[in-house]
Amino acid sequence: MTTTTAVTLNGVTKRYGDVQAVAGVDLTIRSGEVVAMLGPNGAGKSTTIEMLLGLVRPDQGSVQVYGSSPAEAIATGKVGAMLQSGGIIEDAKVGELMNLVAGLHKEPMPVAEALDRAGIADLVGRKIKGLSGGQKQRVRFAMAIIPQPDLIVLDEPTTGMDVESRRDFWASMHAETARGRTVLFATHYLEEADAYADRVVLMRNGKVVADGTAAQIKAGVSGRTIRATVPGADLAALAALPGVRNVETRGDVVLLQCANSDDTLRHLLNNTPAHDIEVTSADLEDAVLAISDAEEESLA
Amino acid sequence: MNLDYLKFDIRRTLRNRRVVIFAILMPLVLFAIFGLTIPKDASQSGISAIAYVMVSMAIFGSMSAAMSSGGIIAAERDGGWNRTLRLTPLKPQAYVVSKVILSLLLAIPPLVVVFLFGMTAGHVSLSASQWISVALVSWLGALPFAAIGLVIGYVAKPDSVQPITGLSTMLIAAFGGLWLPVDSMPSVMKHIAQLTPAYWTGQSSRSALSQSGLDTHAVLVVLGWTVVLGFIALRRYRADTARA
Repeated sequence: MTTTTAVTLNGVTKRYGDVQAVAGVDLTIRSGEVVAMLGPNGAGKSTTIEMLLGLVRPDQGSVQVYGSSPAEAIATGKVGAMLQSGGIIEDAKVGELMNLVAGLHKEPMPVAEALDRAGIADLVGRKIKGLSGGQKQRVRFAMAIIPQPDLIVLDEPTTGMDVESRRDFWASMHAETARGRTVLFATHYLEEADAYADRVVLMRNGKVVADGTAAQIKAGVSGRTIRATVPGADLAALAALPGVRNVETRGDVVLLQCANSDDTLRHLLNNTPAHDIEVTSADLEDAVLAISDAEEESLA
Repeated sequence: MNLDYLKFDIRRTLRNRRVVIFAILMPLVLFAIFGLTIPKDASQSGISAIAYVMVSMAIFGSMSAAMSSGGIIAAERDGGWNRTLRLTPLKPQAYVVSKVILSLLLAIPPLVVVFLFGMTAGHVSLSASQWISVALVSWLGALPFAAIGLVIGYVAKPDSVQPITGLSTMLIAAFGGLWLPVDSMPSVMKHIAQLTPAYWTGQSSRSALSQSGLDTHAVLVVLGWTVVLGFIALRRYRADTARA
């Protein structure tokens, strides 16, 4: 496993008129990472990706992809990308379009292989105009992998797909990451970030507001919740336990919100008659909401 | 230059035949109306009148075919295809060159069909070398129209590109003296005609048939138009891709 750096964004900003689309993003992606860029619409995900791909020039800051400019990285076939919408020629057939794109790259994989990996080998003779949204997304995906890139960048790849095609899509994607490719994908689907990324970069108002594994982000914000039956519980004593943030009771059942559930758990087991203990982590959605709220307050 | 791209564009255009067929049919119909009714021995500006009309109509056809590449460019811009291209190693200049070559290729069928029609139905008789030189000069005379196609492609939206191309083709053809010889019109029309590239393409092509030989002045004006329009197209192209 190499530890080369795939992407470096340094203090990157971009303003469109009155809107500060990206307000200073620093981001380093190492080779082999699968990174989800998560955030609501308007968080600056697409603009950040466009700058990373050299489609948009940043107002300030620098962008490096494999140590060179985005354009150079693209020219050498190191980057494959799938943009949010459009970007395909509607009146062409799938096979024709793929042959064309293959012809534009330096060392493409065979068209048949790209179609196969994208799961659309059967669509080769179909006109793009007649395809469903999910099928078009797969054509875009095939176009993104055909240069055999080291880095694949996907901007909201599953927008407009139904649940099943989303699952199929991620299965194809997973096969690519298993080959050691570095992947950056933007999404506003939490489940996708949670399930498919090694690392989640949370964006909000043009800034990165959290960066870590999905587990770290969840824990860092709302920690875990311990649910236990504690007969005759002393609430004040429980609230004073190490790592406990908040205590609620429902009869004998106690809910403890913990920043560090391991310490709390150890104490509960050693020093109290607690039983029927469950530990659940907050889901990523809670975390994202909490971070976003905090961000909102800090701006207000 | 990218051959795959050219192949792709040609296939796409052939599937969408309307444009090509229109570019062939229109001049044929006009040739039948204005050309075949001319008395055999009539002459116009030093060459046989029917050959004069044949050349004009052939140029009219190749001109509208060459300009039709604008439709492809406008459609590609609108659908975000340009952005996709920027994610490939394709050089911007290669894109432009490939579209110019496409225009020149599209310009061939109308020329060939109208000349064949003139040869058979119109009984235009020229020597082999005259046929070759008139065909070549007419073909290269499509260059400024290829550049106009580029400019339209970069200025127009896909839904306005057809009317814009249609209207400019008509205006340039009518005022450039392709439909009716300017020599038979008031002199002010000749002055107007000289402001269009079509007049000069017509002049240089017809001069290939005349006794006095190729009109180098006309050829130079055609080249000048090509350079100027090509420059405008390149600027539009730059403005379009630099949007950032």
